[in-house]
Amino acid sequence: MSTETMQGTGSGMGAGGGEGQKVALTRGDVQRSFWLWTFFSHANYNYERLQGTAFAQAMTPIIRKLYKDPEEIKAALKRHLVFFNTEPNVGGIIHGAVIAMEEQRANGADIDDDAINSVKSGLMGPLAGIGDSISQGTITPILLTLGIGIAAGNPTITGDGNPLGSIIYLVLEVGIMLALAYFFWMQGYDRGRVGVMELLRSGALDRFLTGAGVLGNMVMGALTFQFVHVYLTLHFGIPAGGGNVTDFDINRDLLNAMVPGLLPLGLVLLSWWLIARRRMSPLWLLVVLVVVALVGAFPIFAGPDTPFGCESILNAFFQPAYGANGALGCGAAPPAS
Amino acid sequence: MMRVHDPGPAAKVAALVSVGVLAALAFAGPVLAQDGTPTVTAGLLQAALVGLGYYLSNSPWLFGNGGFFGLYRPLVAGLFVGIIFGDPVKGAEIGAAINLLYIGFISAGGSIPADPSVAGWVGTALALAGGLDASAGIALGVAIGLLGTIIFFTRMSVDAVFAHWADDRAERGDITGVSRMNWLPPQIFLFIISFFPATIAVYAGAPVVQDAINNLQANAPWVLKGFQIAGGLLPAIGIALNMRFIFRGSVIPYFFIGYYVSVLSGGAVNIVAIAIIGAALAALHVTFLGSRPMQAKGAEA
Repeated sequence: MSTETMQGTGSGMGAGGGEGQKVALTRGDVQRSFWLWTFFSHANYNYERLQGTAFAQAMTPIIRKLYKDPEEIKAALKRHLVFFNTEPNVGGIIHGAVIAMEEQRANGADIDDDAINSVKSGLMGPLAGIGDSISQGTITPILLTLGIGIAAGNPTITGDGNPLGSIIYLVLEVGIMLALAYFFWMQGYDRGRVGVMELLRSGALDRFLTGAGVLGNMVMGALTFQFVHVYLTLHFGIPAGGGNVTDFDINRDLLNAMVPGLLPLGLVLLSWWLIARRRMSPLWLLVVLVVVALVGAFPIFAGPDTPFGCESILNAFFQPAYGANGALGCGAAPPAS
Repeated sequence: MMRVHDPGPAAKVAALVSVGVLAALAFAGPVLAQDGTPTVTAGLLQAALVGLGYYLSNSPWLFGNGGFFGLYRPLVAGLFVGIIFGDPVKGAEIGAAINLLYIGFISAGGSIPADPSVAGWVGTALALAGGLDASAGIALGVAIGLLGTIIFFTRMSVDAVFAHWADDRAERGDITGVSRMNWLPPQIFLFIISFFPATIAVYAGAPVVQDAINNLQANAPWVLKGFQIAGGLLPAIGIALNMRFIFRGSVIPYFFIGYYVSVLSGGAVNIVAIAIIGAALAALHVTFLGSRPMQAKGAEA
């Protein structure tokens, strides 16, 4: 704070004019802005501006330092209160670049509102895409899968559930996210607008997005098999001679014999098609799937003794195809009568 | 991403359905009750701590990321609820089970398909208080997670007001005022709409839910079965939402590679191994094909 006031008295009339007085941001100013954003990026998330007010809050230490003229302050606040939305961690590269632009502008560089707005609105979409596929699309499901495996109790390793799974997830996830966020923020500031634009033009971000797409698709494919469980419970007996009857399970003996794992794959591709191509709301889809599941469980449709509780969810998690009983959750399976 | 999804009628229907489900659960308890011996132990303090945890999971106070990427996840919520109820092992187990539903959960462009956090906090608490186990927790997680979207959409709508309050402060050049409008009023509002419903749901809901689940298990087990089946279907939504951003162009085949590597290994290949294979393939793909094929441009967002 003391440096701020010292600089403040010195640069009273210099801001915006750029004659002689230079206003330089310290690393501390940029970090203060980083923490404000990291904490409060979604504090006032709303349909009208999304992270708009959070962007303005993050810029307040910068504005306070750079501008002393009330009109300049007003303009800067309004400039940063507009609609803004990106992925908060990776997207910090935008804030870094905008801070660098504000600094140049306060020192007399010819950067108008349009230049700053175009950097914000031009970058927020692509970086939301990259950021979401990295943070929510890749890192989070991987760490969740690890944590769930430990916390739910993997029969082959620990047997019982272990709360360490939750802690491992929490520490790794938050640590990685904060490190990513700080890295991208500082990259943005150090490179500035020109550097970030160059980065975009060079195609590095596109390559990164494509690479993230490869990795993300692999992970989503694996998650589909591990967590999506769809069964058809159609059984019938086939006379096998000698009075024996062979149980013919349409799921195991027909579908999985022809195309292994067809049903979960089909459900995910159908969901993707409905949401991405037919623009169906995910909420609708959720309602439909719950209804389908309830109807499917109704005694008329469900097989008489299919232990869904075990097979469809947790046991299947570790032993996807018709695993043995005993894993978490089987105790509550409706008693086979 | 950039397009803001209007929840529209889907949210209303989802709200109706989830209110209906919970109402059915509420009525199923007393109506079907045969033995009036609920052994529920959710004290007011415990319920309030759960409510507080749910608020915190949506709040900015834990380095931002500690909320949305931390307490918001049922896996983590389950552990803390377990600590509150004196059984961290069981809590983490139930939380992990509920989290299966939301494994591919993604929030983008101000839209969520369900609220994993309330499912984790309230769902685990109700399951623990009622002495229920993980699969009943999953059933609760489906219903409550759906209901939780009401809180999210309310917040997203009302918070726009505070943006206008911030505009007023900006007009006066009030830097601190603008800053405060982003964190103070929205958080007071969020506290009101998240802490109280969750606390009340746990405190008042525990006996009802315990009764209801027990009676459903006795009289209509197919309902619980249905929710468990839903637990196997619903991860598809989160995965599909993730695929909306990445399932395109030349990288589509990798989804099938990931899927069938898992199928062929019978699920024995650890997810980290898959990620490492994926990273290696990503390096090869980018080296030999560059970014040419994936033409993202955010068009589908």
